[in-house]
Amino acid sequence: MLRVVDLVTAYGKIEALKGLSLEVREGSITCVLGPNGAGKTTLMLTIAGVLRPRQGAIEFRGEPIAALSPHAIVARGVALVPENRLVFAHMSVLENLHAGAYQRKDPYENDLEKILARFPRLKERASQDAGTLSGGEQQMLAVARALMSRPRLLLMDEPSLGLAPLVVEEIFRIIAELHRDGTSILLVEQNAHMALKVAQHFYLIEQGRVTFSGSPGSLAEDELIRRAYLGSARA
Amino acid sequence: MIDFLQNTLDGLALGSSYALLALGFTLIFGVLRRANLAYGPAIMLGCYCATWAYLKTGIGLLFLALIAVAGSTLAGVYVERLCFAPHRKGAAAAAMVASFALWMQFEELATLALPRHLYAFPALYAGGPLSLGRLTLRVESLVMLVAAILVCAALWRILYRSRFGTAVRAVIDSPAAAELSGISVSAVSLQVFALASAIGGLAGFLIVSGNEQVTPMLGMWSTLKGMLAMMLGGLGSLPGAIAGGVALGLREAHSQWYLGPQLRDFIAYLLLFVLLAVRPPWMNTRSAY
Ligand SMILES: Nc1ncnc2c1ncn2[C@@H]1O[C@H](COP(=O)(O)OP(=O)(O)OP(=O)(O)O)[C@@H](O)[C@H]1O
Ligand SMILES: [Mg+2]
Repeated sequence: MLRVVDLVTAYGKIEALKGLSLEVREGSITCVLGPNGAGKTTLMLTIAGVLRPRQGAIEFRGEPIAALSPHAIVARGVALVPENRLVFAHMSVLENLHAGAYQRKDPYENDLEKILARFPRLKERASQDAGTLSGGEQQMLAVARALMSRPRLLLMDEPSLGLAPLVVEEIFRIIAELHRDGTSILLVEQNAHMALKVAQHFYLIEQGRVTFSGSPGSLAEDELIRRAYLGSARA
Repeated sequence: MIDFLQNTLDGLALGSSYALLALGFTLIFGVLRRANLAYGPAIMLGCYCATWAYLKTGIGLLFLALIAVAGSTLAGVYVERLCFAPHRKGAAAAAMVASFALWMQFEELATLALPRHLYAFPALYAGGPLSLGRLTLRVESLVMLVAAILVCAALWRILYRSRFGTAVRAVIDSPAAAELSGISVSAVSLQVFALASAIGGLAGFLIVSGNEQVTPMLGMWSTLKGMLAMMLGGLGSLPGAIAGGVALGLREAHSQWYLGPQLRDFIAYLLLFVLLAVRPPWMNTRSAY
């Protein structure tokens, strides 16, 4: 459903992506691994339209989306949960969710109910300013806000970053649920152990290029990757 | 004592016009984080359109009000597209300089169409002032006060009870997050410019019809009063803009009475200078909508 071909994205003279290609199948969870500074966030921001690629193509459901602005990409059905969460700090949890549904023309009260039921902690804090939420709650809110646009493809940039193990479990439980409900997901994750449990396909990105691509099984068998991302223990 | 009350009443009326000007200025500042120097000149141009229509056709006040609001709104939209839309990312200084250029353009345009320095504008109300015991209140001031309250209420409803308002506050909170939520920052800022300029146009109309005259100075004057009131009330806060406008009006009315008109304006600029030099803590709040 998403095809990225030969993508080059640069900050000034520095190319953060140097001809990167990958694919996300409809209904799958695809995971991107890579060391710090590999270009994972750059990739997500380029797909979401925040950064303009210098070269290459991004196709979503057969349509080129590389030249669109972020709000237009959301309208096509691609929503990003950004690395730094970016909730609307001065707006209530509920208002954050309404903002997430901004471009929807259909009544979405039902979806709002469903999403609040999925995130009970947000429901309890519905009228609280988002800036006063804990890190984990803000992450939940960022996910819930992205879901309000009813995306076909959800991009998630390190959703477990800096969260306590229990909250990470919860995030991954939600990822698995979303997947079961038919949402395709492109996930950037350093926590390879957790990612192995949910993803069907892996890409390893190093210095702006894909250096490995394969199934969870082949990932666990690769000696180098195992050492770098799964510790020394056998998976 | 009665002087003090009378001054306070006059100050409230004056302050409500400043509050309206500050609301428009603050809306734009909140969304773009940039000072729009052409804000007042756009209002002035709207009022000049109304003056011109009045001189040519002699139409009634209601139409003049509509023309002033429509003219200011169009001029505001023109400013946004020309100065602010191209510079959305970075280059705050470029946008400000560009808005200064449009200020000059608007003044030139106004003086080309109506070259005299001063034109009469039809009075909002021809009768005398109301008396409340030993106090007096001009009907124009009362209208201004009521208009300010109505505009505040309407604005509150728009910002806090509508889909558009959610989008506006989202853009104020974080433009990046707003885009990622599917909100077009470019469309919202154009709409906010239009709304803010319309409010400014209404304020301008009430001011010139209250003063019964219009000069090109209205442009600079409106930008200054709007900016000063916004700074007094904390940068970017709408309730602050209202409070700042009223405080400015009260201060002017009182200092005019006790110190005379020359010192009145001197004190306004002194206050601006002190605010900029000291930067009190409330001026650093990012947004308090
Ligand atoms: N705004 C920027 N300006 C200049 N260079 C940048 C900018 N953002 C990122 N880079 C550079 O681009 C490269 C890729 O950064 P990116 O944030 O995509 O890495 P990442 O894989 O997401 O890393 P992490 O795991 O730490 O989040 C890095 O070398 C980084 O220094
Ligand atoms: Mg990153």
